[in-house]
Amino acid sequence: MSQPRNSYAIGTGLFIVLGFSALAYLATQTTSVANVHQGASYAIETHFTNIGQLKERAPVKIAGVRVGQVQSITLQPGQEVADVKLAIDTSYNKIPLDSVASIYTSGLLGDQYIGIQYGSSKKTVADGGTLTLTQPAQQLEEMLGKFFGAGGVADNLGGTYTVKANFTNVGALSVGAPVKMAGVPIGSVQSVVASPVKLDAEVTLAIDKRYNAIPDDSSAAVFTSGLIGTQYVAIQPGGSPDALKDGDEMVLTQSAMQLEDLIGKFLVNGSSSDKKDADDGKSSNNPAPAPAGKH
Amino acid sequence: MSSRAPQGHNVVTQSLAQIGNCGLFLLTLLAAIPRSFRYVRETIRQLWFVGAMSLTIIMVCGLFVGMVLMLQLYHVLSIFGGTSASGMVVALSVYRELGPVVTALLFAGRAGTSITAEIGLMRATDQIDAMEMMAVDPIAYVATPRFLAGLIAMPLLCCVFCAMAIFGGHLVGVSWLGIDNGTFWSNMTAVVEVHTDIVNGVLFKSLAFGAVVSLIAVYQGFTTPPTSEGVAYATTRTVVASSIAILALDFVLTAFLM
Repeated sequence: MSQPRNSYAIGTGLFIVLGFSALAYLATQTTSVANVHQGASYAIETHFTNIGQLKERAPVKIAGVRVGQVQSITLQPGQEVADVKLAIDTSYNKIPLDSVASIYTSGLLGDQYIGIQYGSSKKTVADGGTLTLTQPAQQLEEMLGKFFGAGGVADNLGGTYTVKANFTNVGALSVGAPVKMAGVPIGSVQSVVASPVKLDAEVTLAIDKRYNAIPDDSSAAVFTSGLIGTQYVAIQPGGSPDALKDGDEMVLTQSAMQLEDLIGKFLVNGSSSDKKDADDGKSSNNPAPAPAGKH
Repeated sequence: MSSRAPQGHNVVTQSLAQIGNCGLFLLTLLAAIPRSFRYVRETIRQLWFVGAMSLTIIMVCGLFVGMVLMLQLYHVLSIFGGTSASGMVVALSVYRELGPVVTALLFAGRAGTSITAEIGLMRATDQIDAMEMMAVDPIAYVATPRFLAGLIAMPLLCCVFCAMAIFGGHLVGVSWLGIDNGTFWSNMTAVVEVHTDIVNGVLFKSLAFGAVVSLIAVYQGFTTPPTSEGVAYATTRTVVASSIAILALDFVLTAFLM
């Protein structure tokens, strides 16, 4: 009589134990609680100015091979530096002291991980030591900005001064587009308005105050970065000894080229006045791709 | 009175009467809990039957749900290059929805039907009446142990289901599709929270579903017409009513807990 009852009790007991162990597993191993847990391995400390989307337990890779994981990420009190502790497999404990730890992204939208490039030093990082050479996470916005040529626009930290320029045609130039000199961004377009009197486009350029020695006979041109890139204003310095001042107007301007016009001119090869314009277009076409090539 | 009412009205009043009777039956069950402590061995036997004996189906189904979920997510997320997030998505969807709901549906099919059929057959063969004649309270001896067993077993089964689903997801994602093991866990642990996902999602929902499924099963068993056709009908109604109640309650609970 007690035998079957005992087997029920054992089966039920096993079931309850299994259920609770599954609960304990779910609650401790698959939730944020798991991150508190410490693993015994070779520990290295690194400092990053920006960790991007790096998470705890993210992989640490050497030559693309996973050798460990991120153990903890903390912010140093009072400093804008993230302390990242790495737990690396003890078999890879001969990491040169001058190795560089960088934060990379796997794929375009993938997860971030830490890559370590070996240095040439004979000394190795001891357990608990610090890897001083680091490279912070690349922010996608910065990279895109660099790619499209707008990211390096000088900010307003140092203050700007404004210069006006009139164009007969600004093309697709928009507010916020960079102003470049020698291909380097020095300011941005503050406003683009049509002038009711002169019947042309009045563009206000905000230029960083650091660049206050631009000759007043410099010319401004609307260029395109690459074939289909965004448009920007390029300033070609003149030779005058006087510099542009706040509120000045640039006299020499060169309008944006319309792709349709250009193609039309090449195809039709019409009147002499058209030809002359086309020549102008050709000659000014050369500097345009140059800044685009620098990115 | 109900036979004189129009047909559509009749269905509505009948369903309302069913729900009302079911609610009253729940109160009777709860009132009988102190009396059923005398029959704790019966409760354990029922727990063994509805819980331990359901482990096979729950574990196998959990494993396959996790595996297929990971397979589908991997192919969808690879379009966006976000396959590393698939472990996290598997965990969240299993904890919040799939775990409790699928476990409850399986539980209704595996345990609910047999509870209804067993009690219904007891009713049809006059065993319930015989108990009353012998001064054994059938509510305290038959109904409450089964109800309590279902209430205890469901959260435990749901935890086992979720653990197996995570294991299945890991098996497919990490061992087969090549997602990095650390990325799999780090994404999961970065997002899953004990309170919102484990306590509110897994435990609370499965407890509520366990109560609803066991109540419907026991109630249908006790109100079975004492014929073989009646037993068949009651068993079917247990599955239908449980499934509707689980999915409707899931929506309500999710809306409140979110």
